Amino acid sequence: MTPCAVTTGFFTLGKCGQMAVAGCPACGRAVCADHLADGGLCPECAAARNRFGHPAAAAAARRRTYRQRQSQYYGDTVYYSGFDDYDRAAFEPGAAADQDYLDDGDDALVDS
Amino acid sequence: MHRAAYLAFDRFPSAKGSAVHIRHMAAELFDRYGGGLLCVLGGGELPAYQREGGVEIVRFTDVVPNLLDRAEAFSRWAADRLAPHRDTLEICHVRDPWGALPALSTGARLVYEANGLPSVELPYHWPLAAPSTLSKIRELEEHCLQESDAVVVPSRVILKAVTDRGAGPDRVHLVPNGADPVPADVPRPPTAPGRYVIYVGALQPWQGVDVLLRAFARLADLTDLTLVVCSSVSPARARPLRRLAERLGVRIQWEHQIPHADVAAWLAHAELSVAPLTAGPRNLDQGCSPIKVWESMAAGTAVVASDLPVIREVLGDHGRLVPPDRPAELARAIRVLLEYPDACRDLGERARRHVEDGFTWKHARARLADVYDRVEAH
Ligand SMILES: [Zn+2]
Ligand SMILES: [Zn+2]
Repeated sequence: MTPCAVTTGFFTLGKCGQMAVAGCPACGRAVCADHLADGGLCPECAAARNRFGHPAAAAAARRRTYRQRQSQYYGDTVYYSGFDDYDRAAFEPGAAADQDYLDDGDDALVDS
Repeated sequence: MHRAAYLAFDRFPSAKGSAVHIRHMAAELFDRYGGGLLCVLGGGELPAYQREGGVEIVRFTDVVPNLLDRAEAFSRWAADRLAPHRDTLEICHVRDPWGALPALSTGARLVYEANGLPSVELPYHWPLAAPSTLSKIRELEEHCLQESDAVVVPSRVILKAVTDRGAGPDRVHLVPNGADPVPADVPRPPTAPGRYVIYVGALQPWQGVDVLLRAFARLADLTDLTLVVCSSVSPARARPLRRLAERLGVRIQWEHQIPHADVAAWLAHAELSVAPLTAGPRNLDQGCSPIKVWESMAAGTAVVASDLPVIREVLGDHGRLVPPDRPAELARAIRVLLEYPDACRDLGERARRHVEDGFTWKHARARLADVYDRVEAH
């Protein structure tokens, strides 16, 4: 039996491991019946092609994209760009306190 | 179509305390709203997309080297992820301005969980950030906090910091972190040394691990005692501290990025747990609610920690407080507790009961549920 190679879990991740029924045509990974998404793809590849979620959501997404192009749908709050090149320069990777602290991608702004 | 979304400019899951926090807070949100959308950072082996029951997890995976560019790219990406759910979204729960901005644009109710403030935190990692830049970041923070329907904070110290930034006091709610009770019979980790003192957490300068190393150097005569550092970061990132430990000749065992589920056993079998936080503005003005202290208490292990308002809030008199940044005082406190094992055990037991009586994650989730009740009622 070929085990399903889709990653599952919320806090502790692992491979699904159920019996695979197909291979994803895009990435080749083995996929079980539960994880088979539209078009026979694995969930990740299906998501990358914007086919995930509720069919209505996908349709809504297409409508939005259209509307957005038509009328600058979003308010300016999303694209807060009060930051200029001078502000940005301080956040180049080489400008960090210590390179040793950065090598595995410390993205979190806050660590309690 | 989701009714709820949780956004965090953090990698999830990860070995950090922030991930434990996200896990429990997001679980409360998603249980309440029958699932939802979780937008977080990816990278490494983490999949870009997962569906777990009613929960969809989407991870931002673009490689953007500049932190500010990355944060803004995350915002735009998150806005696109939220867009299909605009008609149904009732509530967004965020942890930072870069999640708050796209959430605000949906018109859904906003709960802003302020565990820390980028305007305070960033200069520690990015010392070249100019005061004018930090004041722009502070303005952004103020905007997001003022627009939020509720602000959730883990400590009174940060409660003050967010009200100083214009969050209406009636909308700010205290939800301390917590820890889950550790079974009394949790087995000893196979690689644990005989007698050990433990530090759990990340290694940023404000954690004070260097102070702990210097303190430990003064305990060299206790030849059966080892310091175990359970670092949430990789060996490469621990390099400066590893060098310092070598120079000081400290008997130390490094455990890197061990799964969170295994940490409890390491804590439970330690003689003592140490939280040597420094007295810098990061800890004094912004505060925190250190999960390592909560988890040590839950494991029934006595805690020796820096005497700071944030620590006093968590530990009360169920632990031993020492002046921060003083290796000699820290060494003395550790030595005294080790000399009185009964008192030490008693302290750990009391701490455990304190957590069980009011500060498990179940309690934290109930407090968060009250906040959601209020937000819905408005
Ligand atoms: Zn695939
Ligand atoms: Zn599967």
